[in-house]
Amino acid sequence: MSLDRKRASITAVTLILGILVVAQLRSQGVNTGLASQSAQDLTLLVANLNTENEAIRGEVAALERQLATLSDTRSRGQSAAGQLRQDLDKIEAWAGLRAVDGPGVSIRVNGAIDGEGVEDLVNELRNAGAEAIAIDGVRLVPGSVVTGASGALFVEQTPLGISFEIRAIGSPQILTGSLTRTGGIIAQLSVSFPEATVSVTPLDALAIPVTERDIVPVHGQPSL
Amino acid sequence: MSWVGNRLSGFQSWQVTLAAALLVLGFLIAAQLSAERPRVRYTSQERAPLIETVLGLQGQQDALKARILELREQIGDAEAQLPASAAQEKALNADLERARIAAGLIQLTGTGLVFRLEDADASVGDGGADGLVTARDVRIIVQELWLAGAEAVSINNERIATSTAILDIGNSILVNSAYLAPSYDIRAIGPPGLYDRVTGAESFVEFVRDRVSPSGLRLSFADLEAVTVPAYAGSVGVRYLRPVARTGGS
Repeated sequence: MSLDRKRASITAVTLILGILVVAQLRSQGVNTGLASQSAQDLTLLVANLNTENEAIRGEVAALERQLATLSDTRSRGQSAAGQLRQDLDKIEAWAGLRAVDGPGVSIRVNGAIDGEGVEDLVNELRNAGAEAIAIDGVRLVPGSVVTGASGALFVEQTPLGISFEIRAIGSPQILTGSLTRTGGIIAQLSVSFPEATVSVTPLDALAIPVTERDIVPVHGQPSL
Repeated sequence: MSWVGNRLSGFQSWQVTLAAALLVLGFLIAAQLSAERPRVRYTSQERAPLIETVLGLQGQQDALKARILELREQIGDAEAQLPASAAQEKALNADLERARIAAGLIQLTGTGLVFRLEDADASVGDGGADGLVTARDVRIIVQELWLAGAEAVSINNERIATSTAILDIGNSILVNSAYLAPSYDIRAIGPPGLYDRVTGAESFVEFVRDRVSPSGLRLSFADLEAVTVPAYAGSVGVRYLRPVARTGGS
């Protein structure tokens, strides 16, 4: 066999081996995490992603309308104060920089529960679509953390008593259903904190104050 | 037999070696396929389409979020270019920029640190579920960063905003309803010395002692002079919440 044919044979074998190894590595890499999920969990993921994508599509459509209106205003040389104020109201309300009201739920927590337990409850409220949350009148924003052991809880330096109220604005039905469902967060907390009781009351109207925290960063600068 | 012997002696040694290697390779591939067959069939029938759907939807979400960031930037530029002769409009534009920064709608760069949290090696700990990073683990690190003075935090490419939930679904972690694959990079911008403040906190020490170390989770960090935290790219649309007019009706 000539030297060229030897080389061709070895090249062919190493090529096949290389392709096999890369294919194997890629199949493992793509499915990291997902490959070990059950069909039920994957179905939940699909539902969650679908819901969020629908909301994001709505946001894209709203932003496109807003941009078109702004372009129209600019071309006509009109005042944009009304549009700017509307945009400011929306962002400030969402971010916690404005007092807000609306329908939602009042959650009364009584008894021994620690900061992590309250954080679990708040996390579930956000997952259920709460648009604004306050604990005993303290608006929760990024940076707000409920800390402490049972009976010695604090939020934003404010001590919470053995009984406190969490208010959340959102769909009263969805928020209540999400919290109280079988195996939901309240059921889980009743196991972890058997001495605590958590009751949920749907409300047609409730008010949540502005945050007292300064949430404008001073150590970070806008960057592209 | 003498014919076979003659034939074999006609091959050169490299040809025999190559043939043997190919034989072994073929045997290994056949053995692997045979061993995997039941799981492959299960995967292809039930989970593979779901995994593809998850990846497809996550891809759509990434593209939509990129479009949101693009539109917000265009709107910000358009608002800044509006006729702003009136002092009121100039003030509104300044307030809007400030509100967007506070809300996490603008990417920031500043001093800070990055924690990386990874699952335990299979050989460490009991090899069970305790060695997997959970949403609560990630949330605890985020909370410790806030308590230490962090001003902006993200997990992988998801900015923590006022509506952010961090969830477990099976072995996956969802942040802002986006599926995040491990490892988890938690970036924070904050005052100089943020790392010392975090790691010096009793609650962080307890977390490392009681959760990270026993389960073999891998927690590493980089203390950086410039950390970039991306903008929140999700929806700020609300259905139920109404802003209350400021006192004075502005």
